[in-house]
Amino acid sequence: MDQYLPILVLIVLGLLFAALSFVGSSMLAPKKRPTAAKVAPYECGIVPDIEPPSRFPVRFYLVAMIFIIFDIEIVFLYPWAVVFHQLGTFGLVEILVFAGIVFVSFLYLVSNGALSWAPAKHLERAMPSRTSDSTIARISGNPDPLASGPPVASPDVEPAAAAASGPGQAA
Amino acid sequence: MSPSLLLGVAAATPRFRTPHIDYLSILPILIMMGGAVAIVVVSSLVRRQLRTGVGTLLAIVTSLAALGASLTQWADVADHGAKVTIAGAVAYDGFSVFIQVTVSIAMLLTVLVGDGYLRREDVGGPELYVLALLSASGAMVMGSANDLIVIFLGLEIMSIALYVLAAFNHRRTESGEAALKYFILGSFSSAIFVYGIALVYGATGSTNLPEIADYLSKNVVASNGVLLAGLALLLVGFGFKIAAVPFHMWSPDVYQGAPSPVTGFMAAVAKAGAFAALLRVFVSSFGAERADWQPIVWALAILSLVVGAVLALSQRDVKRMLAYSSINQAGFILLGVQAADGRGVAASLYYVFVYTFMIIGTFAVVTVLARTGDRGHDLSEYRGLAKRQPLLAGALAILLLAQAGVPFTTGFLAKFQVVAAAVDAHSYALAAVAMASGAIAAFFYLRVAIAMYSPAGASGDDASHEPAGAAGAGVGGEAGSAGSGSPAGSGMADPVGAAGGRGGAVGVAAPGVAMLSLQVLTDEAPSPEVAGRTVPVPALAATALGLAVAFTVVFGIVPAPIVDFAHRATLLFL
Amino acid sequence: MKLAATTLMVHSTLAAVSATGVTVTRASTVDVVTFVIAAAAVLIGAVGVVLARHPVHAALMLVMTLFGIAVLFLLQRDDFLAAIQVIVYAGAVVVLFLFVIMFLGVDREENIRFEPLRGQRPLAVLLIALGTAGVLVLGLVSHWATGAPEVAGAANGPGSNVAKLGKSVFTTYLFPFEVTSALLVIAVVAAVVLARRPPATPDPDDPDAASGDGNVIGEEQEVVG
Repeated sequence: MDQYLPILVLIVLGLLFAALSFVGSSMLAPKKRPTAAKVAPYECGIVPDIEPPSRFPVRFYLVAMIFIIFDIEIVFLYPWAVVFHQLGTFGLVEILVFAGIVFVSFLYLVSNGALSWAPAKHLERAMPSRTSDSTIARISGNPDPLASGPPVASPDVEPAAAAASGPGQAA
Repeated sequence: MSPSLLLGVAAATPRFRTPHIDYLSILPILIMMGGAVAIVVVSSLVRRQLRTGVGTLLAIVTSLAALGASLTQWADVADHGAKVTIAGAVAYDGFSVFIQVTVSIAMLLTVLVGDGYLRREDVGGPELYVLALLSASGAMVMGSANDLIVIFLGLEIMSIALYVLAAFNHRRTESGEAALKYFILGSFSSAIFVYGIALVYGATGSTNLPEIADYLSKNVVASNGVLLAGLALLLVGFGFKIAAVPFHMWSPDVYQGAPSPVTGFMAAVAKAGAFAALLRVFVSSFGAERADWQPIVWALAILSLVVGAVLALSQRDVKRMLAYSSINQAGFILLGVQAADGRGVAASLYYVFVYTFMIIGTFAVVTVLARTGDRGHDLSEYRGLAKRQPLLAGALAILLLAQAGVPFTTGFLAKFQVVAAAVDAHSYALAAVAMASGAIAAFFYLRVAIAMYSPAGASGDDASHEPAGAAGAGVGGEAGSAGSGSPAGSGMADPVGAAGGRGGAVGVAAPGVAMLSLQVLTDEAPSPEVAGRTVPVPALAATALGLAVAFTVVFGIVPAPIVDFAHRATLLFL
Repeated sequence: MKLAATTLMVHSTLAAVSATGVTVTRASTVDVVTFVIAAAAVLIGAVGVVLARHPVHAALMLVMTLFGIAVLFLLQRDDFLAAIQVIVYAGAVVVLFLFVIMFLGVDREENIRFEPLRGQRPLAVLLIALGTAGVLVLGLVSHWATGAPEVAGAANGPGSNVAKLGKSVFTTYLFPFEVTSALLVIAVVAAVVLARRPPATPDPDDPDAASGDGNVIGEEQEVVG
């Protein structure tokens, strides 16, 4: 049990540090209370009256979750490493099977974009590849959904609508 | 290069005696997990549009391979006898092989039904198959577990995958709600189960089932409070998974909210796995203590039989009705557990096996009939189905009749066998309650069947008398018409009227007159858009349905092979 | 009185261990004092989780409970489990809880005045009291350990604790260990499946979903053309 004495000392030191911080700040901080306007997010401007919709993207949570899963995998590696020599090849094979199965889920994560931090790509065709039909359609002034303006930020615009005007659209 | 050369130090340290692994004994489990992993890999690599198709293909191949492997095992066990492998963690006997066959079949049928669902609902992905395959492997682990810890792991693998499967349709709010309820209650019951394991370990000094049995047969425990408390907690955990009353509260909401193919899978696989573990733990390991646990199972069985049957009577939603009916069926299977002898175990196994076909087949029809968004499970949607799609209606009718226990279906013999086992064990009261409950249950199965075979455009009056007469419940016909008068009279072709009818039904049911409420419940005319709707039946779902119906009828008429199968499974077990 | 009861519990726990064939030394004063402090931390933390009005405070109380349990593991000379308890539970899992609390809004307080089921709270208190009393009575009256051979081997004999655990995991519990990998795969797939959102259905209540920002996982549009 002696080896846990440093931890105990550390805990005591941590508590002391936290207590001293409180004491110190209460002695050093200005006593005057700020007014309500001072503690508002902005000192001037319109007071927000609705909650912002969400503070974090779900992705943060997902990453924390994934961290725990692989953390647990590592936890299993530790006892194996300690008895590595006694287990020999058998242990190596078993831990490789275990790690291999879990590694597959890593592949899955990458493929599903769960680990990519950039904003999700919504690539849209700025311009359909030109065919003679589409050119004729454009010149003749038919209402073409794609020619009506720059692409809007909606992934729901059916590409099929554009494909209908030109046969050379098969992706 | 030998390993000891590779690791220079290794020569100095003594090697552990590593367990021998008999790969054939866990082959179906390995195939199921391998299949899931393969689907994860392949679907991560192919294009998004192809993923569902590739997933379906791989899942079908995996299920067939697992089925083949379990049948190989069956021959192997018959030749070489049962044994225990991998350091006593896995039992390899007829019983475990039987469960693996059952789960493989359930998995196969579910994949066939699930493909059409995924395409219709556009909820993406092969994840459904990955989770279902892993869940099935969990049920298999439970079936072949020889150690309480392994049973717990199997239980968790099966359940956690099921929680997620219940939430799979992310376009439906009900789906998420069902998953949350299932998850919270399920993890609570798992915690109780683990506590039970801890107490049993404390009392017997082992988690290994044969060692527990050995200990209990050699020692007389003078004050066995800890052991009994452990047994009780284990029973609560199992009772939750098989949805036995009073641990059934989750089941109607979850069955209703979960995607329809998942519900069928859940009803079949969770029952198979949980009953397998229940039978092995209680009948085999705690057989010496049976005088202590039999009364509890007796009470669970009676409550499930009665509550399941009575509450199913007042359901309008077909999935919810099937949930209560599945509680009722769990009560029947518990009859075999309560008997706690070879005959009872065989009867329970047979019941679980044939129920797998019936319930997945039923949910195949429910899946196909639903509107996009997995909506429209109301009884009124089934009205006139026989006119529009006679084959579908006929299949559903056969499966429902089988669940009701009509002769010449597998369901009849299943009910007969468990009741016979109960009579053999001198539980006459239990047998009587079971038969009465079977009679009540027939009523709500027939109600769906009659709705399908009644004309689609029938007026409220005609419809209200027909089912009442058919079920021999003419009581309160007048009052029923009066109760339903307002919604039935005012044109209820619109959904508002239907909602009014439902409200009226609840109002009448509240006094507790079940028959009266039934009158109200059956007499709604469908809305016009329902009346003319024929649904497309995907080829794979039709295959699954055909298999289920064919099995139910053929082995209902020629029951010997399956009865023999279940019987031999227990011979190698006890 | 309380001290006496806890001392009794320590002794009965140790006696339980000794009956399974493990040599134990008598509980020293240090052990008893450590046990009392850790047990108090566990209990106060657990009660605090339930009683704290602020969800973040509740999560911090949970850290206290989990840390107390880690100390209890140490008392049983199970160093590895104690370390895991701190790393995985007190560290990672509680951080995850805090994520969820932040995600749902820290300042949201539960209305605990409202009771959906009348009378469930007194009933719950009664049931908990009954359960606790039952367990205590069982512990005093019944026989716990019975001398059957144990499967895992001695946890606190001579030699490294982790090595014993490793031996157990790779011999007796090899099958459960390998099967655990399936559980981890389920967890990964489940995390991704549950984090999906319905793709850009026009929902007037949720402007975030319609604008299709970077939150959608697994629903990214295929790159066309």
